Amino acid sequence: MNPRTGSFPANPSQDAVDERDDGKERLPTDLNQEPPGGGRAAVRYRRSKTRWLVLVIAIAAVVWSLDGTGVSFASLIEGWDNAREILAGLFPPQTDEELLRSVGKAVVETLQISIAALFFGTVMGLLLALLMAGNIGAPKWISLPARWVATVFRSVPELLWALVFVAAVGLGPAAGVYAISLHAAGLLAKLVSEQLEAVDVAPVEAVRLTGATRLATAVLAIVPQARNNIASLVLYQWECNIRSSAIIGFVGAGGIGQALGISMRLFRYEELATLMIALLLLVLVVDQISRFLRRRMGAATR
Amino acid sequence: MEIRLTGVSVTFPDREHPALDDVSLTVEEAEHVVLLGPSGSGKTTLLRCVLGAVKPTSGTLTVGGKNPAKAAELRAIRRCTGVVRQGNDLVHGLRAQTNAVLGTSPSWGLRDWAAVLRGRVPARYAERVRTLAETQGIQPFLKSQVESLSGGQRQRVALVRAVLPEPRLLLADEPTSGLDPVTAQAAVHTLREASGVTVVISTHDLSIARQFPRVVALRDGRVCFDGPELSERDARDIYEGVEVGT
Repeated sequence: MNPRTGSFPANPSQDAVDERDDGKERLPTDLNQEPPGGGRAAVRYRRSKTRWLVLVIAIAAVVWSLDGTGVSFASLIEGWDNAREILAGLFPPQTDEELLRSVGKAVVETLQISIAALFFGTVMGLLLALLMAGNIGAPKWISLPARWVATVFRSVPELLWALVFVAAVGLGPAAGVYAISLHAAGLLAKLVSEQLEAVDVAPVEAVRLTGATRLATAVLAIVPQARNNIASLVLYQWECNIRSSAIIGFVGAGGIGQALGISMRLFRYEELATLMIALLLLVLVVDQISRFLRRRMGAATR
Repeated sequence: MEIRLTGVSVTFPDREHPALDDVSLTVEEAEHVVLLGPSGSGKTTLLRCVLGAVKPTSGTLTVGGKNPAKAAELRAIRRCTGVVRQGNDLVHGLRAQTNAVLGTSPSWGLRDWAAVLRGRVPARYAERVRTLAETQGIQPFLKSQVESLSGGQRQRVALVRAVLPEPRLLLADEPTSGLDPVTAQAAVHTLREASGVTVVISTHDLSIARQFPRVVALRDGRVCFDGPELSERDARDIYEGVEVGT
């Protein structure tokens, strides 16, 4: 609307361009006005063309991936009989006393692997994180190698670490503890160092200005601010350790995973079902304990 | 502790005008000085220079005869300096009483560290923390986490933190910001009571400035007034032409 005359322009696009007669085209000051260079319809057309282009690229990427990985409904239907044979074999789960005793033993072993690995992983991870975090102020000749070590620890998959340690110390849970510890240390080092670097800088500077040493500043001003988040990360790592121990057990690194691998290789599906239920229960219990503790610390869990 | 600035200038790379422009100033041992000036006049930068947090672009600066540009001497300066800054700079996740003793960390022994890590006040500071907390009216909140304190209560904890180590130099950057008039007066009283201690505070509050025996006014990074009493006319000159909201 023209503020001077109080009337609407005959052509809305007239109002879109600045009235200053200097030959330059300006953006409209009223957001309801049409932009220069072709009006609203042209902008809508350009946006819609971009959307279509993105959609076509996304579909092409999905089709390319499906083709490359051999995923198809046809293969699922063709192989359904084999899958049904396995699924049917799972029922009823085996519940004889001897098996339940050995499953119980495997569950306890898995729990032990996860806790021992959490201990070593946390100790190593926190140490690396303190050395890596930029605001702690460790000299570069220490922080840089610490970063490299953490990267190697978390980049090598647990399964590969497990193969290395099974070869080194033999089959059994000890290999699992070492493998998971290294991977957990690498992950925690990265996540915890990021938490340390994200703390409020004002209290850190305030403590530093009192003449406190770097270590004292880290202990008194940086770690307390990140403490709850670090504890939450450590608890989450415990849940991850349980799941990891099930996977690396397949290569002989102990725990319920090792029992799962043996049952699968021997086609004992009723045994497999019992082990899977036990693993599921273990994961659920650990998950609940972890959530409870994180909620107690004020983490936003639901 | 004597503070001596000679021709100190500070230029920040992202700012067109210098934050401090050829400032020469001497604060004698045990003198109480207030830095007055509008926002952006260079008060905070001057205090940060004294603390070695900002390095002068040119000029010389000594604190108690020591040069803050040298790491070893800077540590010595900081260890006998108490600092109160504007805004909230207490450590979240710790109790008020733990925050109150953080300024004394350079002199802690193993027993003190053990007490602090358990959230307690080291025995040798307990009595003084209690006395200072009572003066500041924060005794009931000492065991509270700082997150649960109001802005004014936090500022008072910061004041106790600065005074507790019995520093020879007290620097306070807008120590009364966010405080009600009564609490602000108590804070100023605590700073003024520090006899034998060099006290430098910055403020833009004229009523607070008038309680100090020496006023140094800054404007656009330069000293524009230095004297014992600030008249209405002087005050007008300092703030004249300053745009509201800047």
